[in-house]
Amino acid sequence: MADDGRPLPAGAPAFLRLLSFIFHVCKMSARVKKVLLLLLAAALLAGSGRVQKSLNRDRKELELTQMTPLKNAPPLLAFTTVALGGFRGLISNFLWIRAYDLQQEDKYFEMVQLADWITDLEPHFPQVWVFQAWNMAWNISVNFKDFSDRWRWVQRGMELLRDDGLRYNPDSPLLYQQLSWIFQSKMGQNMDDANQYYKEQWAKDMMPFFGPYGTNFDELLHPQTPEARARVGEFRDKFKMDPVFTEKVNEQWGPLDWRLPEASAIYWASVGLERAKANPGKVKPFEVAQLRRSIYQSMLQAFYHGRLVINPFDKSYDFYPDLALVSKVNDAYETEYAEESDPGQKNGFKHAQRNFLRDAVYFLYEDNRMAEAAKWFAYLSREFPDQPILDNDPNSLPSQMTLDQYAVACVQEDIGETDQNRVTAAVEGLLAHAYYELAIGQDDRYAGYKLLAFKVYQHYQSQLSPYADEIKRKGLAPFANLNQTVLDQLLDPKQGLPLAARAVLRTQLRMPPETVPANASPAVAISTNATEVTSTNLSNSAGK
Amino acid sequence: MKKILAIACLTWKAALRFRLFLVIAVLLLAAVVGIPVLIKSDGTARGFTEILITYTLSATTALLGLSTLWLSCGTLARDIEECQIQVVATKPVARWQIWLGKWLGIVSLNAALLVLSGASVYGLLQWRATRLPAAEQETLRTQVLVARGVAQPPDYNTEINTRTEQLLQERLKQTQIPNADLATARQQIREQVKAAYQLVPPGYYHEWQIDLGFAKNSLHGKPLQLRVKFNTAQTGQSGTFVGLWQIGVPGTANVWRSQPMSLSANTYHEFEIPADLFDRQGTLTIDFVNANNTTLLFPIEDGTEVLYPKGGFTLNFVRGLGILFCWMALLAAIGLAAASFLSFPVATFFSLAMLVVVFASGTLSDAVANGTVTGVNEETGTAGHFIADFVLIPFFKVILAVVNVVKNFSPIDALSSGRAISWSELGAAFGQIVLLFGGVFGLIGIRLFTRRELATAQGNQ
Repeated sequence: MADDGRPLPAGAPAFLRLLSFIFHVCKMSARVKKVLLLLLAAALLAGSGRVQKSLNRDRKELELTQMTPLKNAPPLLAFTTVALGGFRGLISNFLWIRAYDLQQEDKYFEMVQLADWITDLEPHFPQVWVFQAWNMAWNISVNFKDFSDRWRWVQRGMELLRDDGLRYNPDSPLLYQQLSWIFQSKMGQNMDDANQYYKEQWAKDMMPFFGPYGTNFDELLHPQTPEARARVGEFRDKFKMDPVFTEKVNEQWGPLDWRLPEASAIYWASVGLERAKANPGKVKPFEVAQLRRSIYQSMLQAFYHGRLVINPFDKSYDFYPDLALVSKVNDAYETEYAEESDPGQKNGFKHAQRNFLRDAVYFLYEDNRMAEAAKWFAYLSREFPDQPILDNDPNSLPSQMTLDQYAVACVQEDIGETDQNRVTAAVEGLLAHAYYELAIGQDDRYAGYKLLAFKVYQHYQSQLSPYADEIKRKGLAPFANLNQTVLDQLLDPKQGLPLAARAVLRTQLRMPPETVPANASPAVAISTNATEVTSTNLSNSAGK
Repeated sequence: MKKILAIACLTWKAALRFRLFLVIAVLLLAAVVGIPVLIKSDGTARGFTEILITYTLSATTALLGLSTLWLSCGTLARDIEECQIQVVATKPVARWQIWLGKWLGIVSLNAALLVLSGASVYGLLQWRATRLPAAEQETLRTQVLVARGVAQPPDYNTEINTRTEQLLQERLKQTQIPNADLATARQQIREQVKAAYQLVPPGYYHEWQIDLGFAKNSLHGKPLQLRVKFNTAQTGQSGTFVGLWQIGVPGTANVWRSQPMSLSANTYHEFEIPADLFDRQGTLTIDFVNANNTTLLFPIEDGTEVLYPKGGFTLNFVRGLGILFCWMALLAAIGLAAASFLSFPVATFFSLAMLVVVFASGTLSDAVANGTVTGVNEETGTAGHFIADFVLIPFFKVILAVVNVVKNFSPIDALSSGRAISWSELGAAFGQIVLLFGGVFGLIGIRLFTRRELATAQGNQ
């Protein structure tokens, strides 16, 4: 009916009928109206409840919002995230803009605070953590000229991911990969001038937990004293590392020197992989692949410079190839190759593996580990029989070369061709290197370098024509003379090695002590079983 | 004056009666005490002090600024709306005296609150500084809690302009350049000429001579800070470049050479140089050797600066607070001017809108730079056109001119970076912010208030 009491025509539009109904409701008694409204409210509530469930499901599936409440969040953060609601984004935008502006003006002192606020406002958005950490560790750090300042910013970036980012996003592969990347690339590689400083600082941080050689797990796993238990607590609380899992990683990929950043890179990538296994639904395949790559790339780095030797004379940190890892690195390549499905990537892994094996053979030879060098040389020949072993010589198939020839060729690749002066310098350099290794207690490396020096010497001399006066004209001085020259230079009290190192050398080489000034400090005693290598016994040692 | 002071006294009484003074004072103290507990710094004493100065003084400015606007709008507008002003206006006191009295009352209230919060911040800084290790205290005293003057090399503007004109005339003799392109051609030639003063090619060195002026007399035995910045077109894998510096009197033994420094481009680097490296005339000679394989550019404007101790932190801090006080005085004038012809809510809205305009000066600058308010098409690089641009762009220019004058005084920035705020700077701030702009708003406010019919405003009664 219309409002004047007349009925609506049969073909009246729907909205007119609705208006008519509303009009009638309005004319009902208050009690009936209330009942109807209550029923309507209940129906709407029930309907919204049903819609809410499906909406929440969609939001979760589409990752439009975080459904789970913040875990372990401080009260202030929990309050802020709830109270601000949708305005969090606006405030976060303002903070991003301020951070950007300040960075453009080279004002960094607020960056930690701003990053803290920004990540607090968006705690479940891994990219925010990643960007802020990367910005601190990479961009801001290099803007400081003092290495200690740079290290502080690298630490801030690392801590942001490790201490906070992972607390709120414990299953995010991206955060584990980025944390691993800071250790592997920023600290482990040499792209930053301060990388040596980072490595030293990290080694000093880790030394209390793993002992002076970075490999002792006894105290971490079975602390006996209150001090030891406190150290384990610090390891867990400050560095957020689990001793048991650390040992597991070490068994799987090591033995690693845990003073080095590569070991931590492998640790965090391994934790990420564990989390990914536990939550397969939350992880994308490429994220797992990135974590795996972090491990094998870090393994490769650990092979190249994963053995830390602290120079006893000047306390400097020297990094050497960790030859104990050859087998594990090779295994990592094999695993990566087997798990990769992309043919292009598979080829890339094989190529990288071949390069690694070539270096491994050379380094083992250099370190006087002849049996192992021969074993991996044979492996290289078996796995890559039709690929030249030297880059600039297409005929250098593994079957055409001996191990000795390969090692000398490697040195020659490094030192150039057959220039007399350059070869002399190279031989002297290898000899000096050998004596330096002897002075710091690296006896095998001493023997390896000395052997290599002699091989290079021999190889050069053998290339000269025996019929012309070429040996006279282009030949090198006798090996013993070169050796003595180098030794004299190193033992020179004014321009040679430090007094303590000279004393060690003299002791090891069975030489009489030099006249020591009255106020000189005593020599550092280094245990060694090295023997002087001469040209006469070199050929014997080469065969072992 | 007695009448003005009497009105100011009434404003004080009102502020105390409404507990406004107490509330603001408690809020300011809470901010000063609470901020150090809440903030995270980069881990250094210097960083913490810088952030502490910035955040505490910013919080103080924000709190005082908002309360000043609210109070200045409220004290006049509500008096008018509630007819209390009629009791005052019927007394033998002129309208301008009422207006100035209220302004003086608000300003003196601000001064008291600023002294309270400033003293708290200062005390906090000094207390924290004394608890630091000696080395960090020394860093703070030489780099942050200090007033450092700045000496720069000559800008060579005269030489550059002269040479630019010479080259331009030579070019004009050889080639016909349309009048429309003349400015562009001049600018390009100028940049080329300027480059000779800024570029350091690989393997070359560049020398700057910086006159320390009268400051040389007080700098004996005091180390200085060198602040440098360079740009480069190429960035290597490490992102850093080797910096080799030689500073001192050429041809003498009084020369200091730096170790090779690892420096990144496009950022400021500050490092200490030994004392007494300048000559008798007070000229400091600085040489930089470019040992990199790429050309480096040290901008003439700010590529090389010498920072030297000019005074103590205490007076510098007082001068910084003085500039903040000038800002508050201007805000009080704006609020009172708005309340002179608007109701309380509208006056508050109007004043806050003006603050928003100040904060949005970056957007205004973009519009002025683009010549339009419609923005630029980033793909084509062309600017749109809007008929209102003819009115808005000149209007924005005027606003920016005013805003920039006020914003150029940045005491918080100077205090946190240990830069000296001179008495002349404080005087200029007082002259420009209080007397000039505050005076303009004051005159407008007094004029409007004088002409206003107070008896008609009885809406709330």
